[in-house]
Amino acid sequence: MTLLDAVIFLPLVAFLITMALPKENHNAIRMFSLIASLAIFVVSLGLIGSVWSAAPGKFALENNHPWIQTPAINYHIGIDGISLWLVMLSTLLTPLCVLVSWNSIDKHIKQFYGFLLLLEFGLIGVFCALDLFLFIVFWEVTLVPMYFLIGIWGHDRRIYSALKFFVYTMAGSMLMLVAMIYLYEQAGTFDYPKILAGLQSGAISLTSGEQFWLFLGFFIAFAIKVPIFPLHTWLPDAHVEAPTAGSVMLASVMLKMGTYGLLRFCVPLFPNAARQCSGVIIILAIIGIVYGALVAMVQPNMKKLVAYSSVSHLGFVVLGIFSFTQQGFDGAVYQMLAHGVSTGALFLLVGFLYERRHSLEIAAYGGVATPAPWLSTAFMITMLASIGLPTLSNFIGEYLVLQGTSLVYFRWTVFAALGSIFAACYMLWLYQRVFFGKASEDLTHHMPDLKFREYAIIVPLILLMVWMGTYTQSFIPPISASNAVLLGPIDARREIHVRATPPRTPAVETQGELANAR
Amino acid sequence: MPVNFMPTGTDYLRILPEIIMTVAGTLIMLIEGWLAENKKRNLSVFTFVAFAAALVAAVAANSIPGLSFSNMLIVDGFATFFRVLVIGVGILSLLSAVQYLKREHAESSEYYALLLFSVTGQCIMATANELIMIFIGLEISSIATYILAGYLRDDKRNNEAALKYFLLGSFATAFLLYGIAWIYGTTGSTNLTVIRTALLSGGPDRNVILAGTAAALMFVGFAFKVSAAPFQIWAPDVYQGAPAPVSLFMSAGPKAVAFAVFLRVFMTAFAPITNRWEPFVWSSALLTMIIGNFAALMQTNIKRLLAYSSIAHAGYVMVAIAAHNQIGVAAAMFYLAAYALMNIGAFAVITHFSRQGEKFVNIEDLAGLGWKQPVTAGLFAIFLLSLIGVPLTGGFFGKFYIFKAALDANLVWLAILGLLNSAVGAYYYLRVLVVMYMNEPGEATLSIQPVSAGIGATLWVAAVGTLLLGIFPSVLLNFATSSSALNK
Amino acid sequence: MQLWLIPILPLLGFLANGLFGRRIPKALINIIAVGSVALSFAWVVKTLLALAPIETKYVEHYFTWIQSGMLNIGVDFAVDRLTAIMLMVVTGVGTLIHIYAVGYMEHEGGYYRFFAYLNLFMFFMLVLVLAQNYLLLFVGWEGVGLCSYLLVGFYFTEQFATTAGNKAFIVNRIGDFGFSLAVFLIVRQFGTLDFTKVFDAAKGMPVEASAGILTAITLLLLVGATGKSAQIPLYVWLPDAMAGPTPVSALIHAATMVTAGVYMTVRSATLFMKAPITMDTVAVIGLATAFFAATIGLTQMDIKKVFAYSTVSQLGYMFLGVGVGAFSAGIFHVMTHAFFKALLFLGAGAVIHGLHGEQDLRQMGGLRKQMPIAAITLFCASLAISGFPFTSGFFSKDAILVAAYARAPWMYWVGVLTAGMTAFYVFRAWFMAFTGEYRGHAHPHESPLVMTGPLMILALLSLGGGFINVPHILEPMFSEAAENQALAWLSAGVGILGILLAVLFYVVKPGLADSFAKGFGGIYTLVYNKYFVDEIYDAAVVEPLVEGSRTVLWRGIDAGLIDGTVNGVGRRSRGIGSILRLIQSGNIRSYAAWVVLGSIVLLIAIGFAGVLR
Repeated sequence: MTLLDAVIFLPLVAFLITMALPKENHNAIRMFSLIASLAIFVVSLGLIGSVWSAAPGKFALENNHPWIQTPAINYHIGIDGISLWLVMLSTLLTPLCVLVSWNSIDKHIKQFYGFLLLLEFGLIGVFCALDLFLFIVFWEVTLVPMYFLIGIWGHDRRIYSALKFFVYTMAGSMLMLVAMIYLYEQAGTFDYPKILAGLQSGAISLTSGEQFWLFLGFFIAFAIKVPIFPLHTWLPDAHVEAPTAGSVMLASVMLKMGTYGLLRFCVPLFPNAARQCSGVIIILAIIGIVYGALVAMVQPNMKKLVAYSSVSHLGFVVLGIFSFTQQGFDGAVYQMLAHGVSTGALFLLVGFLYERRHSLEIAAYGGVATPAPWLSTAFMITMLASIGLPTLSNFIGEYLVLQGTSLVYFRWTVFAALGSIFAACYMLWLYQRVFFGKASEDLTHHMPDLKFREYAIIVPLILLMVWMGTYTQSFIPPISASNAVLLGPIDARREIHVRATPPRTPAVETQGELANAR
Repeated sequence: MPVNFMPTGTDYLRILPEIIMTVAGTLIMLIEGWLAENKKRNLSVFTFVAFAAALVAAVAANSIPGLSFSNMLIVDGFATFFRVLVIGVGILSLLSAVQYLKREHAESSEYYALLLFSVTGQCIMATANELIMIFIGLEISSIATYILAGYLRDDKRNNEAALKYFLLGSFATAFLLYGIAWIYGTTGSTNLTVIRTALLSGGPDRNVILAGTAAALMFVGFAFKVSAAPFQIWAPDVYQGAPAPVSLFMSAGPKAVAFAVFLRVFMTAFAPITNRWEPFVWSSALLTMIIGNFAALMQTNIKRLLAYSSIAHAGYVMVAIAAHNQIGVAAAMFYLAAYALMNIGAFAVITHFSRQGEKFVNIEDLAGLGWKQPVTAGLFAIFLLSLIGVPLTGGFFGKFYIFKAALDANLVWLAILGLLNSAVGAYYYLRVLVVMYMNEPGEATLSIQPVSAGIGATLWVAAVGTLLLGIFPSVLLNFATSSSALNK
Repeated sequence: MQLWLIPILPLLGFLANGLFGRRIPKALINIIAVGSVALSFAWVVKTLLALAPIETKYVEHYFTWIQSGMLNIGVDFAVDRLTAIMLMVVTGVGTLIHIYAVGYMEHEGGYYRFFAYLNLFMFFMLVLVLAQNYLLLFVGWEGVGLCSYLLVGFYFTEQFATTAGNKAFIVNRIGDFGFSLAVFLIVRQFGTLDFTKVFDAAKGMPVEASAGILTAITLLLLVGATGKSAQIPLYVWLPDAMAGPTPVSALIHAATMVTAGVYMTVRSATLFMKAPITMDTVAVIGLATAFFAATIGLTQMDIKKVFAYSTVSQLGYMFLGVGVGAFSAGIFHVMTHAFFKALLFLGAGAVIHGLHGEQDLRQMGGLRKQMPIAAITLFCASLAISGFPFTSGFFSKDAILVAAYARAPWMYWVGVLTAGMTAFYVFRAWFMAFTGEYRGHAHPHESPLVMTGPLMILALLSLGGGFINVPHILEPMFSEAAENQALAWLSAGVGILGILLAVLFYVVKPGLADSFAKGFGGIYTLVYNKYFVDEIYDAAVVEPLVEGSRTVLWRGIDAGLIDGTVNGVGRRSRGIGSILRLIQSGNIRSYAAWVVLGSIVLLIAIGFAGVLR
């Protein structure tokens, strides 16, 4: 029973307790889930220390005991620099989602908060699972509560979107399941570290054909989740129809399940296949970046706009991963977190607007800045973070990703960098149409400025954006350390060192990285 | 060849469950005459006791495994597994039937007697080590079930269902019998072990072809019973037409045990000619999954939906058989248990919900149940998620284990197509969830009464079982694995 | 030396006013806003005195900003003579403009917001000049862009203002796109972004090895510079940026931010000098911009627009200087330009303020009576920009032109012609505003001391600023440009000629201008409408992009193709379902038939299986 077990299972416990509460007593339910989620967040803070103190490449707080004998499936969890922050992100955002739903959710309160906590359980589990079977278990567990969150508390086309979301993801994860079982047939275990070690040492050998198909099996499942163009069309629907809390969890954390999977499983387990496909994938990622931004630019609906912007941002993450460079990997992870914070904040702010005006159509707004200056300021800062303004979170991620990519494929970087221009376009135009201009009488009437609860939600995120943008040393080192280990065997910079002046030898380089990363 | 036909005491102990249930069934029919109307209720209690006793006996019999009645019957882990399963099913269908019968004013004793006989027949099938015994067991169980299907005499739907089931059933059984004849003609025996050795010893090539044909003919019989394509055709009409608790029973017990004999015959007797039957089991499995899942997409009647879903699930089990390896057997066993639980649960909800004369059997009627009766709906949701195959439910692990077996046997494409099929399946189960939770309550939901004790018990047992199998599958899996090595 | 204090002070000012400005009295806001900048100016002076003479670069490292693999980017500030000059200009002029703004914004709404933004701008601008590596410079670079966006769109209820703001930001983003690519290339090439390391490595590179990559890098840097410093083709945002309050135009869009491009180029001189192709490109772009913008300036009627185009044109001069290798001359002009252009805008501001927001020259005239100080100070500025002998402009501009001559005489001549036009349109504006009869309807009045004070100080600087011999100061960094008295005087002469022409057109024979305009009707309308460049950009870039995204990408590919396929699959599956249902006739005979059929198929299959074996 480590701290990590506690962090994983507390949400489940909280879920069960919530379900036991009387459904009439709304405030008790709200209060409980708020306190519970906050407590979970506080507990999860403890993880940071143990990860920082862990040896590079080793999993902290590992816990491994048998769950099912035949086939050998273990409850094997652990956490490293990559998963740490994603877990933190989940535990941080859940209380905020509880807060944002405080008034906006008025029916079936109990089930709503229950599902929110259940979702947190699944998400944390996904990022901590070191057993492939356990991973897919948590992976699918997250599906159900999100399905209900969208389907029950969503907007008009909620049912269509919920079904689309579920079936889309299900289809992907089924392929992953096949690949996973096949891998088990070869490796004789579901244990991730064992399999990884086996593959690297050659104890487990896969023909290049097998590698390719297995890679594809995993990749499609993750690509749907990320989502990578052209598998992204479930995302806008799901986002638009989901309630604010749902959109936040979906965008900030659930999408990261895909990129996390790519980084944790796809690339390290099947490096050669990953290399083979990297060309195509990078092109898809770049299409995603530019295409997502351009489509976002012409959306009449705020949530749709933000959804497509996510497609664009996640494209950077994929690009970073498939650049196979230290900077690319670090940037990818950092972008995951930055996107989690900034886009989460964007959805929350859109939620605030919706609570006031009951419309997501951009056309329904205009001149909000006059009646609600602080709301506008918060939105401004968040928007700037999201378009990658230096000193704010996303810049670091995007910079590192592009820098890493440029080291190996400079030509592609050129196209990817276009994304930052279009990002400015769609965001500034959104902001102009919603917040600038003269406020109509009726709008002014319905547009009070931020309330205390809303400050409590948005201010921490804004502070985090600034922190992540200015003092990255509080976040990057563990990420770098873990990435350096994943990257070791597949480092793409070997080639470019030849070109770079002064030349470096990869060996020295890697040591240097570890040293720096600590 | 056996020299002494005199059965020993152990022989009787080994078939004690069958004996108990037969006696109990007969008694019920005898004493019914003397019972006053208001006493009839007690018969259900009596039946329950009988089942319980049989269950104990079945478990006990496992401690003295072996062949009996000159190799006609065999008590091994496999047999015990299915005996316990079908008796369990019997108990649950009894529990969920009581209130139904009262509701339909049809509390007569036959129901209980027929239930007992049907289960007896199934137990015989489970223990049979010889084709004739299998046939006898099958008939005992089937005939009882035919009658049960048409239990409410004055209900048109019941009669139609019963008639269809009966005619087509006997039709298919004929094929089975024919197949038995062929194999007897080929190998000169109906004993599985003997047939196996005969086929192993090879002999003239003619034998192989004859045996293959026999296998095909028997396959028709079994495929019909398990509602596998292309012989699934009867299932939707019968499941829809029969009384809800009977459909519950049919979709769990007879199906499971039919698979049991299917496995036993094809994995032992016909193992030597696997290459003959593997292809058509393979294709039948695929066809079954596709027909089941896709046809279910368009259904509006919940019973019919579950009928198609049960076809689809039969398809998954067929995949396990197609894998024709020990894991496959274990997987099939596990899956049938898990399936029995979740399906019984689902049908129990329908039984409870459909009301007098089964007024409300359309999916739309369930609208808003999630908020009207949260517990019932919640349990129903668990069954549906398990049918979809969401982790932490028996359905997921069973599916996982079956497709693992398939990959063991290098049936990669079958595995992929099967799993994609289950993604399709997700859609129609989700639609039920949608209606329950995302639509406003309708007339059907608003007029709903509290859950009766029997149904409640069934639901909880099924739900706990489903989750247990999903979270701690080893409980059952180890036993299944250990007993999956059939007596060769 | 606590260099960090220099930018941090304005940042604190920003935070204080930004967070609490709404609740605290104006006086306190002024104290915070102006005080923070003045303090930072004081700290600059103190620091420079302490460091003087800054023979070598003085660097301070604070903390690691980004550390990933081989890449290590620190937050380091550094001061050398180049930075020193920029610091003085930015904080000095900045302070003056802050003071002026106190008066100018007196009656404006969002008072605290204005000063908060202004302080934030100072912070980023100072980070920009203090930065010791490209990424930190980029922070300032984007930061000032942000502030410009905020301040241009300061009157956010006005459509045109916010649109201008967006335009400024987006066009700058296009420049930054180039800049960031340059950064990537630098890391790819040198493995670091630290100025010292990069330049040392570059110096060490053999020509043949360096030419290609350095040209690429510098050209990309140039893209960034053209965006920030409003050069062709990315100058379009600057004229619109005049939508912001006049002090903003003075501080950001004349004195400081727009010169960042020049500063960055000079900072990277080591790289540029090793890339001759880029140098020529810089020079040509600079010259073209200078000339082209000047022609537009001739015809504008909005006083701020006139000065805006003149800014673009003057920036062109600076690039010309840099392009021909006269880096120090370029910086020299940056400084003098900061003085007289700030003054021009502030003066214009005083006029507009005095006329309650009137900006059209046709609505002015004879104002020298009502606002003598504005008139006189503006006159000094006009002299300076016209390069009238011994005014600041005279020295800096001529230094550039002389250097240009040394590189290619034709550049010099074009430059001189431009100088003439400059003198003409500036004085045209001055005469139209201050001489003749008042044509407007407002009640003109002189501005308060808080505004006129800075005007007078800047007037002195515009006249005398030329005696601060920047090229000499920068001597250790860049070789001084060649002296050539004759050429200098010639260009100054042309300047005076321009002035005289203005006198002729707008004092001696008013109306001559209009008849000219009619005479050259076609050309005039073309020039008056700024060669329709904005319209062309809209039609060629913006519209296709937006419409294409809407109709092709979104409606076509996303909703149509991809989602269509997805839903199509769903529909098709249900279609299969409904077909399968047809088998269920409910008719027993047909069922039996199915069973038979199935068995037959099966037996045939078995038969085949037998045959196959």
